[in-house]
Amino acid sequence: MTEKPNIFDRLAPALLVLGALLTTAAFILNFTSAPLVQGALLPDNGLAVIGGQVVTNKLLLSQKIFYFHMPVAVTSFVALLFTAVFGVLFLVKRNSHYDLMAKVATEVALVFILMTMVSGEMWERFEWGVWWTWEPRLTTYFILMLLVIGYFILRNAIDDAERRATYAAAFGIIAFIDAPISLMITRLVPSGAHPVIFRTDSGLSTPMLIPLLLAMFGFFCLAFALYRFRLRQQTLKARLDALKTNLED
Amino acid sequence: MTATEPTPRATPSVPTATATSAAAATLTPTATRRPSTFRQYRILLGKDLRREFRTREMLTSMGIYAVLVLIVFGTALMQASAGFDVLPVAGGLIWALIVFTSLLGLNRSFSHEKEEAALEGIMLVPLDRSVIFLAKASANVLFLLVVEIITLPLFYFLFLSGSALAATFGLAIVPLLVGTIGIAGVGTLLATITVNTRGQDVLLAVLFVPLVFPLLYACVAATSVALLGGEDMMATFGPAVALAAAYDVIMILVSWLLYDFIISA
Amino acid sequence: MDPILAEIYSTILPAAPYVIAAYALMWLVLLAYVLVIVTGQKRTEKQLAALEEALNAKHKQ
Repeated sequence: MTEKPNIFDRLAPALLVLGALLTTAAFILNFTSAPLVQGALLPDNGLAVIGGQVVTNKLLLSQKIFYFHMPVAVTSFVALLFTAVFGVLFLVKRNSHYDLMAKVATEVALVFILMTMVSGEMWERFEWGVWWTWEPRLTTYFILMLLVIGYFILRNAIDDAERRATYAAAFGIIAFIDAPISLMITRLVPSGAHPVIFRTDSGLSTPMLIPLLLAMFGFFCLAFALYRFRLRQQTLKARLDALKTNLED
Repeated sequence: MTATEPTPRATPSVPTATATSAAAATLTPTATRRPSTFRQYRILLGKDLRREFRTREMLTSMGIYAVLVLIVFGTALMQASAGFDVLPVAGGLIWALIVFTSLLGLNRSFSHEKEEAALEGIMLVPLDRSVIFLAKASANVLFLLVVEIITLPLFYFLFLSGSALAATFGLAIVPLLVGTIGIAGVGTLLATITVNTRGQDVLLAVLFVPLVFPLLYACVAATSVALLGGEDMMATFGPAVALAAAYDVIMILVSWLLYDFIISA
Repeated sequence: MDPILAEIYSTILPAAPYVIAAYALMWLVLLAYVLVIVTGQKRTEKQLAALEEALNAKHKQ
């Protein structure tokens, strides 16, 4: 059996390099050209002139986490979108390759969800002074993480390949639909006990937007390259397993 | 199974089997005309209700389990001061009770179908598979509602008799109904999935709780404000119930669409 | 140092460990996944070698 040369597999190493370059560039620009965001007002109407600009607020370093945190979160969600799309494709076409693709996409999603969680935790620990609070976005991501972990527990609990693929596809689809609803409900239902405590750091200036976008595209490239590498390995493993059962018969 | 219960394995008049043959019998005289979808639905739902009416297996176990959860709540709150008011957390406790009890019921709702290979029997009948979903989900809604009707007054009696309930407490029925429907809908799909897996009980909980989380969040918010009342109660109650209803519609629709694939696998 | 400047930069130093930790942890998670991929690859190669060996032994018989 000769392996079909796949355009994506040939692209993957290049994308890995591109992703590494982009995220490195984003990392450097993040700490050099992007200005620090302004936090609380200085006491007693204090002001100072730094680099020809009047500064009246405290400058925050903690927001630097955001430049990687947000792109990573977006990437994880894109990966989950792929899980759902491959799930639908599997249910329609009944080709086990789609199941493998969905599984690997979910693995990548889990990696990026974990990255989102750890970076978010660090920011939260410094800014809010707690390790955990039931804040809408935080809670949603926690639930999302549990859903993705549940996806793998479900896969491990079924022996029959066809059935495993079908159940995993269905759960992947329903989990992907559940996540936005979860975000919407936790944000839109006013909570009586706890005020919603997040600042929206919208209105990023261009020097801030550049590292953010670079990081976003860089992580897309990295995620895709990792996905292809893993898929290639998993496909090989599946072929090997099929070969083994063939020989044993 | 205990000896007092009629064992379906021994008696030929297994409720599930009779329903299947009944559904099949209606097909034979006029092979070209199937019974209407609504009739199929009624037969399948009637089968589950009749089975429950004879064995009372689900309601007894769910009811006893609910009471046990109440005892655990009572123990958890025992060390609180004498004047401790449960009312602010009552909404949350009620939903914890419902989620745990529903998990038990959902687990059982398919396991007996599996034991008797009754599901295979139903699958032989040429009916729309999503009808099975609707019938099962309706049966689960009914069982859950019955358990709620029994345990919620008990909850009031045990925990809230000293609290000043708001005048709007009757409104709590709305989130209870919406939440129960959503739990049964999503839960029926997941129970069908997990009945064929290793360690089905645990797996159902692992998949069910995160998936139903948005609904739970909205329903706890709506139930709590309904019990507590207050000036701006409607500002929370309205959106919470509306979003819970939206969750119900979307998730039940998706479950209904996916059900054919699941049950055929 | 100017007290106002000190106030402006007051949160920078305390925040630095958390910022560094956030980036380091993200990097670690990513590397851990690379490790998973590489280990999987190695295991597959080993299985392939075992299969080859078994086939060769069969042919010799």
